[in-house]
Amino acid sequence: MHIPDGILPAQVCAAGYAIAFPVTWYSLRKINRQPDPTMGIPKAALLTATFFVASSIHIPVPPTSVHLVLNGLLGAVLGYYAFPAILIGLFFQAVIIGHGGLTTLGVDALMMGVPAILAHQVFQFRHVLSRRFNQRFSNGFCAFWAGMVGIAIASLIFFTLILTTIPSGFDVTTERSAIYGLTLAHIPLAILEGAFTTMLVLFLQRVKPELLDDPWHRSLVSHPAYNEEIERV
Amino acid sequence: MPRERNWKGWVGKQLMFPMLGLWAIAIPERAIAHGATIEYRSIPALEVQASYDTGEPLANAQVTVYSPENPADPWLTGTTDDQGRFIFTPDSAIAGNWDVQVRQAGHGDIVSIPLEGTASNQSTLVVAGSGSSQSTSLLQKAVMAGSVIWGLVGTALFFSARSKKHAHS
Repeated sequence: MHIPDGILPAQVCAAGYAIAFPVTWYSLRKINRQPDPTMGIPKAALLTATFFVASSIHIPVPPTSVHLVLNGLLGAVLGYYAFPAILIGLFFQAVIIGHGGLTTLGVDALMMGVPAILAHQVFQFRHVLSRRFNQRFSNGFCAFWAGMVGIAIASLIFFTLILTTIPSGFDVTTERSAIYGLTLAHIPLAILEGAFTTMLVLFLQRVKPELLDDPWHRSLVSHPAYNEEIERV
Repeated sequence: MPRERNWKGWVGKQLMFPMLGLWAIAIPERAIAHGATIEYRSIPALEVQASYDTGEPLANAQVTVYSPENPADPWLTGTTDDQGRFIFTPDSAIAGNWDVQVRQAGHGDIVSIPLEGTASNQSTLVVAGSGSSQSTSLLQKAVMAGSVIWGLVGTALFFSARSKKHAHS
């Protein structure tokens, strides 16, 4: 899933950094505009550690093997904190474990961070859903989709990037079929990550529901169903 | 046009038989006159072993070799075997850095193999991989990963303690 050094042409790497910079700035600004920006740091730090470790957990999907990414999970639980969290996690992965690379850090951060922000938007949908269904169902349902959307969009970006930058001298058809094979292997991974996100969200809802509070949703406090849920727990 | 082509094909077929007949007479004589010889000598070759960081070999991955003279166009292309190995013989007349790139589905690496001219006839075994992943042992990696995790957990504890203090005061 991580694009290592030497795979992408220099222009793409430079463009990756050029786009990742304003996205990081935008996320930090969103964080800074909260009443207390340090509130989310403990869970962001813990989930950065989880993200850092997750890429070392390999799941065999014959004939290949894939590893957990958990960007959808980070997006769902952390919101805009997910982007800097993923950026820091990727930096440590590149330097210490050797996953990804420093030249491709910008591209990798965009590839996993932007779908994480999208996953956050998908998870926001729970506020709409909870008007019709109970809180537990809407949280679990949206968490599943957030987890899936995160990894699915990230892998689509990955495969588009790789497909369009096959260097001359390589047999395009062989490389293409290898890429398609790896794409298919990410479908079970997406379902797995969706399920994992649901499990974590439901667990947090039971144990510490305030961790699922999301400061970017203004109508949250005013929503009667949510307050009832808090009181009940 | 098609009719004309058919006609040519027919003539070709008709001519084939007499020609084959001539060959049949000629071959035994030629075979006796020219024996085959096979010579052998040892030359230095390079073996490249490509594997994922999990240790799993990069089997049947595409390999391109770039000579120092022309780093843009591949000098040789091929694929690794089931064990992720690829053996090739560089032109010993071309000294410099030979780049070998192994790639499969967007995963892979590039290794630069320095080769001295004809003077050095040593074969070298080069393990592909980035410098950082090769220069550290598994234990070192685990310790570094552990310290990163501890740093992150520490950050979490620091900020949660601070926010609790704020809540109390």
